[in-house]
Amino acid sequence: MDFYYGLAQIIGVHTLLGLSAYIVLLTGQVTLAQAGFFAIGAYVSAMLTVLAGWPIVAALGVGTLFGAGTACAVGFPALRVKGLMLVIATLAFGEGVRLFFFNFDYQIAKGQVKVGPVGGEGFRQIRYFPEHGWTTFDVMLFIWAFVVLIMALLWWFDRSRYGAVLRAVGEDEIAAQSVGINLTAVKVSAMTIGGAIAGIGGGLYAHYTTHIEHSSFNILVATFAIAYPIVGGLASVFGTLAAVVFVQGFLIEGLRFLGDWRNLLFGALIVLAMNVRPRGLLDAQTLGRLGRLLGGGR
Amino acid sequence: MLDLVQAVLDGLLFGTTYALIGIGFTLVFGVMHKLNMSYAAASVGGAYCGLLILGLVQGAPPWTVFLAACLAGGVLGYLVYLTCFHFIPLANPLATLMSTVGMLLLIDEIIVHVTDGMPKNFPAMLDDEMLRVGEITLRGDLLLVFGVSVVCMAGLLGLLYRTRLGLATRAVSQQPVAAQLCGIRVAQVNAATFVVTGLLGGIAGALIGASVGALSPLLTTPLTVKGLIVTVIGGLGSIPGAIVAGLLVGAFENLFQQFRGVTERDLYVMLLLFAFLVFRPEGLFAPKGGRD
Repeated sequence: MDFYYGLAQIIGVHTLLGLSAYIVLLTGQVTLAQAGFFAIGAYVSAMLTVLAGWPIVAALGVGTLFGAGTACAVGFPALRVKGLMLVIATLAFGEGVRLFFFNFDYQIAKGQVKVGPVGGEGFRQIRYFPEHGWTTFDVMLFIWAFVVLIMALLWWFDRSRYGAVLRAVGEDEIAAQSVGINLTAVKVSAMTIGGAIAGIGGGLYAHYTTHIEHSSFNILVATFAIAYPIVGGLASVFGTLAAVVFVQGFLIEGLRFLGDWRNLLFGALIVLAMNVRPRGLLDAQTLGRLGRLLGGGR
Repeated sequence: MLDLVQAVLDGLLFGTTYALIGIGFTLVFGVMHKLNMSYAAASVGGAYCGLLILGLVQGAPPWTVFLAACLAGGVLGYLVYLTCFHFIPLANPLATLMSTVGMLLLIDEIIVHVTDGMPKNFPAMLDDEMLRVGEITLRGDLLLVFGVSVVCMAGLLGLLYRTRLGLATRAVSQQPVAAQLCGIRVAQVNAATFVVTGLLGGIAGALIGASVGALSPLLTTPLTVKGLIVTVIGGLGSIPGAIVAGLLVGAFENLFQQFRGVTERDLYVMLLLFAFLVFRPEGLFAPKGGRD
């Protein structure tokens, strides 16, 4: 059973990662910086629980703030450039953060062992959950509490005026600007919210894996972050969840019996999915149909 | 001081490979206004195919690996076009971005799968030759890289400015609708662009193999990042920009590798990119009236 709880933890954390890119993608911006915010959240909250002995929720909160703050700070200069330039600028930022942690040492002695991040070796012994007697099931519930909360929040955003503004900017910037929408404010706020979500996700990730290192936050992670919402479809938050279940549950765990060939199929299936469903697995049309089906043919 | 000059010169010579990769990104962007994320992976893949072909043909001289890699790169380029661009609506930029990322992962995995993840030795060319100018030595293999790259760039510019295909390519990149009205088959030009960039990429991959001495799947990610950085610094869609930026990034990187070590080197390349984004976001030579 623990295997499935573990899988649910992975799906939960990756959903958070995907949602952090989802809100930025709604404004039409493609960002590859999410792995960077994810790394910042992970390192900051893990350092707080391990080195400073903080409780987990407070540490996650500070990690979130750091994620949001960096995202806001990156947002202003990076959003001066648009479209593909932004992809590359954010990619460079994400790699910059990774390289920073690759060269970052900060260790203190705790009892006989030294704890803390050490450059290339990474940050071991993030043992908050085992030390406090949390079972895998507890950790899974804890992670999913955050996932549900954030999904509900984003779903509500989507129905509010703010969601409409985000999508308006994503559809046509010039039209949005001409009806008086402040583009910079909208984009930077979306980026900040995305950074906050990635920060929480990173903090949770660090604590359930108990060991993080710079290579856990490489370009592949950043690509996954935008892959989930794009493969799943931007029509609703459930698209991201569907894509995470498809990728982590089916492609990675479900195809494990294929051994080495699984990885080959993985890239091919993404290519195929984009050819067959360019607007994502759950596009607006499918969602409408599903809604009618569940709503009793309204 | 001598170390500094030596580091910059070595970097400049190796930077021509970055320039070739940057040209590939920038050419596809110029023509289709799309990013082909799988380009660097396809280039390395082309070089691998070149090695494979060289292994099959008994007694072929080592330099034929360039020819084989070039042809394999062209074929790969066409395959990438067919699988990631041809059937996806052009109005949807996210879908092609994602499909090329999928292709990047696929090519990477095929390489790992076929070679069991082990680096492959690349035939050494002019390895022991040195050119001494005063106190400075120029490595023979890097000079070879430089020479071949310059020939390739000249060939590409000739193709773009001296042939009908080049004329059509430039027309499509300026105004696809008008080009279509003039009777140019846009889809065919797009496919041809992918083949041409693939040919270049195969050579670039082989050159990198020749100067490093080995090919490894680990090359693809850094090459993708460096190629994209070169494209941005040079200005999206600008070929001279990509050349100058490639040399700049190569020299800059080697300089910092000399003085700050290999782990910190890329951090400074990222900082260079950020400096450009803040002070000159349009790059060195952005084409006039460039749209995003």
